Amino acid sequence: MTQPEAAFEHVLSRAVYHAKGRAFEDFTPGQTLVHHWSRTFTEDDTIRFSTETLHYNPIYFSRRAASAAGHARMVVNPYLILATAIGLSVEDLSEAGGPFVGIDEVQFLRPVLVGETISASSSTLSARASESKPAFGVVTWRTEAQDDDGAPVLAFVRSNLVLKREPQRRHFEKVLGHERFLGDPE
Amino acid sequence: MSALVLDSLSVGDVIQHARGKTAGENDVSSLSLLTLNSAEAHFNRDRMAQSSFGDRIAFGAINVAMIVGLAAGDTAEHAIEELGLNAVRLHHPVVEGDTLYAVSEVLEITADRPDSGVVRFRHWGYNQSRVPICSLERTVRLRRRP
Repeated sequence: MTQPEAAFEHVLSRAVYHAKGRAFEDFTPGQTLVHHWSRTFTEDDTIRFSTETLHYNPIYFSRRAASAAGHARMVVNPYLILATAIGLSVEDLSEAGGPFVGIDEVQFLRPVLVGETISASSSTLSARASESKPAFGVVTWRTEAQDDDGAPVLAFVRSNLVLKREPQRRHFEKVLGHERFLGDPE
Repeated sequence: MSALVLDSLSVGDVIQHARGKTAGENDVSSLSLLTLNSAEAHFNRDRMAQSSFGDRIAFGAINVAMIVGLAAGDTAEHAIEELGLNAVRLHHPVVEGDTLYAVSEVLEITADRPDSGVVRFRHWGYNQSRVPICSLERTVRLRRRP
């Protein structure tokens, strides 16, 4: 084995897996999770998203059409706002695996215009064990997207299957071949 | 044919939307990343090849956006405002190379303003094998014929 490869193998052998995401046991009804990123929407965002998804309502990709419809600037495609509100929440809620169950009660509360910045927060509504899939629990959250003033622009209720801690660890071990994780006793 | 306005719709109508779309890497991976979704099921081909899915799967909210987009050609061009969604369910994963189509049912029409009314649709997305991939109810304010 050449020198760099040996050094690299030594580093890998000492690596501790720093898992992202939470396990089912981390969710308690009533808790609030503030997703710490936010995202500013540009004209390029809404034009790209609307054209790639064939969403041919021109208020989302034409200044002229948005203006004719009475908007001060181009409107950000609401399905981009919805997907981003979920995206912002993934690291805190569902990154560690578990199929999406569904979304209900989506309310687009007002049009979001380009140049606005949106953040998101979620509250846990329920967390219960799954009867059919013992490795998982079903967690339901209410997520809200807020503007610069903290006023809601979008709200919805989302449910996901979330792996329990031990099955999640076995999953990581199987997928990654790692046996040691950040936070393990030495 | 032009997109539909409120007056063209009746409760019980079922619309087969003309356009289909093949999901590419942009849909599965890039659009997921554009929305800050950090789950690598959407962008790590190496790990997903080892999973039961066998490939990267598209983000559910992007599946919804693609199906609403396919339906938009008939049901959104004259939308004044998207109002809400309900009963959004993902029935089957979407992977790169799948081709998506949409069909919509008109569930309810409330003609409450002189220039517009509110329509509730149920949209179904399905793939090249006629397997439903998602369904959702969508409420939208649509313009009347001028």
